[in-house]
Amino acid sequence: MNIFNFNNIAFTSIVLWIIAMLFILFDKKIKKAILIGNILTIIGTLLIIVFLSIMWIEIERPPFRTLGETRIWYAVFLPIVGILTFNNWKYKWFLFYSLFLAILFLIINILNPENFDKTLMPALQSPWFVPHVIVYMVSYAFLGVSSLVSAWGIYLLKFKTFKTELLDKADNLVYIGFSFLTLGLLFGALWAKEAWGHYWTWDPKETWALLTWFAYLLYIHFRYRHKKKIVIALWILALAFIILLICWVGINYLAVASNSVHTYGS
Amino acid sequence: MTKNNKVIWQYPWGYIESFLIAISLVVLGFSLDFVSETKMSVIHWPTNLYIGVAVIILLLLLHSFFKEKKIIKWLSNVKTSISAISIYAFLVLLMGLIPQGSPKASGFIHEIALTNIVHSYAFLFAQTYLLVVLGMVILRKGITLKPKDIAFFLNHFGLWLTLFAASLGAGDLQRVSLTVNKSDAVYSGINQKGKVIPDLGIAIKLIDFKIDEYSPKAFIVDNKSGDILNKSLFYLEKGNKAEIMNWQFDVTEYFNYAVNTGGKFYSVLDYGAPPAAYVVARNMKNNIVKKGWLSCGSFRYKGDFLELSDETILVMAEPEPKKYSSHIKVYTESGKIISDTVFVNKPISANGWKIYQIDYDQEKGRWSEISVLELVKDPWIKVVYFGIFLMMLGAIYMFWVGNKKKIL
Repeated sequence: MNIFNFNNIAFTSIVLWIIAMLFILFDKKIKKAILIGNILTIIGTLLIIVFLSIMWIEIERPPFRTLGETRIWYAVFLPIVGILTFNNWKYKWFLFYSLFLAILFLIINILNPENFDKTLMPALQSPWFVPHVIVYMVSYAFLGVSSLVSAWGIYLLKFKTFKTELLDKADNLVYIGFSFLTLGLLFGALWAKEAWGHYWTWDPKETWALLTWFAYLLYIHFRYRHKKKIVIALWILALAFIILLICWVGINYLAVASNSVHTYGS
Repeated sequence: MTKNNKVIWQYPWGYIESFLIAISLVVLGFSLDFVSETKMSVIHWPTNLYIGVAVIILLLLLHSFFKEKKIIKWLSNVKTSISAISIYAFLVLLMGLIPQGSPKASGFIHEIALTNIVHSYAFLFAQTYLLVVLGMVILRKGITLKPKDIAFFLNHFGLWLTLFAASLGAGDLQRVSLTVNKSDAVYSGINQKGKVIPDLGIAIKLIDFKIDEYSPKAFIVDNKSGDILNKSLFYLEKGNKAEIMNWQFDVTEYFNYAVNTGGKFYSVLDYGAPPAAYVVARNMKNNIVKKGWLSCGSFRYKGDFLELSDETILVMAEPEPKKYSSHIKVYTESGKIISDTVFVNKPISANGWKIYQIDYDQEKGRWSEISVLELVKDPWIKVVYFGIFLMMLGAIYMFWVGNKKKIL
């Protein structure tokens, strides 16, 4: 892992993504800027994928155990969601936001070097481990990008320049994110039955995952009934993402988490 | 009052009425929890079946004969659904903030069951409200063969069935822990409430308990405080080299089972023998070399560590388990004998029970002579799984709908 040292890879990807964003930002002045921007983003993302694959082999277990490890995965999934939404809807800031978050995650990991522990407790050694975590990460990446609409929308509302069609895009992202969220939750339940004897034990992580699911469920139903009530919809979407963040990282700081079976490797 | 000057409680009911009802249900529930001394009683087979059938018949009757009534229309309104989702989510939020089931819990929040929400009347009422509303929504929508309606049915009925079966069946779930050994077959265990279950209908004998371990880790420890000082990890395996905190380490020998004789460890497969490693440590600043044996010790043998300086020592941590399993023999009342191995994450089935590997004698570790198993019986699981399966299909359809605008 000498050339494929994490810092080298992360630094290269960050530089590639920044150049990609500059190209896309100045696409009117540079020929083929969008194409070059796309290619650079993809190369940067592929580098991280290669790094993860090598790491997976070297540590002899799936690299999903710690928050630091999952941050690297988000640095893969966010650019993918960003590039897909950007190319379909032509909103530059979808891509910028995803890349910005991915860069942030990589920087956090560069600043907090982790020693990749080879041990994986028996409870995590299951065929469910990889699908459960990947489905959740894909979901979080989509819902994360949808949260941008809420934040930006709330900001734009002040200047009365918010366009309703933007919330339709958010709906698409939420539908995709929510379908993965449902699968992640249900995979988790099926796995829990095999590992702990019951599919639902109200473990704090389960409780917050269910709450996250209900928050997006609320958003979907509210949008279904009230297409025109933009302000409340934006706030529900923002609130849902805050709950998601508490479920993902905030839970470790809550009093209830002390007896959670989901706190691994912190 | 709403914009068109509708008086509250005048039909059609909207958010104000829906939320007032939802909140009243929860307040009433918590009040009941406060006044009732005894815990809410759990329903068992066949009472839960009767209640389940009665609820289904009631919902069908309400729908068939009164669907034009305003109050029944209100039950299947999206606004009502939103109030039901909100109130249920609110109780889940409380569960996510207040530690649940703590034995030390006391005071007001304990008395109104905030420390045990799952078993509170408030939760029961909120869940019933959600199930009734969801049930009426499904009935009003009906079943058609349009893809959109099929998806609606999968998502809504899947959730309804999962919640319905999981809550009705909760009282029939049996979880019994039992400790098995190699000398006798054990046929009684202790359930989750600490009650002894004298006869499980099967008897289990331990044939062999096996444990695979990772190579032990080495840590640099502060002599006085006992704090671990190194951040990067270092595994004790023969030939492993590492550079940590100005020290160069070289593991020149490693025995998985070793016994100390006269200050030197020898590879001996003795009962209770711990692992041992010989480490050569060179300080990169002043070239001082320290070498010696490390061992984490065991319940039977003393461990050993290497002194690096006056303030720091190098120690071996106890190896962490990679895998553990019990080879067991299960004797059923009909005289059948099942011989199989139970791993963590890989339970086996016998006579209606699912048998899980839970624990072992932690102090003896790989020399454990017992194994702790859990026996689980959940007669409603198939219904719950069917609901989960429907929801999964619904989720896949939802992905397709979200993706209609070709995001992927």
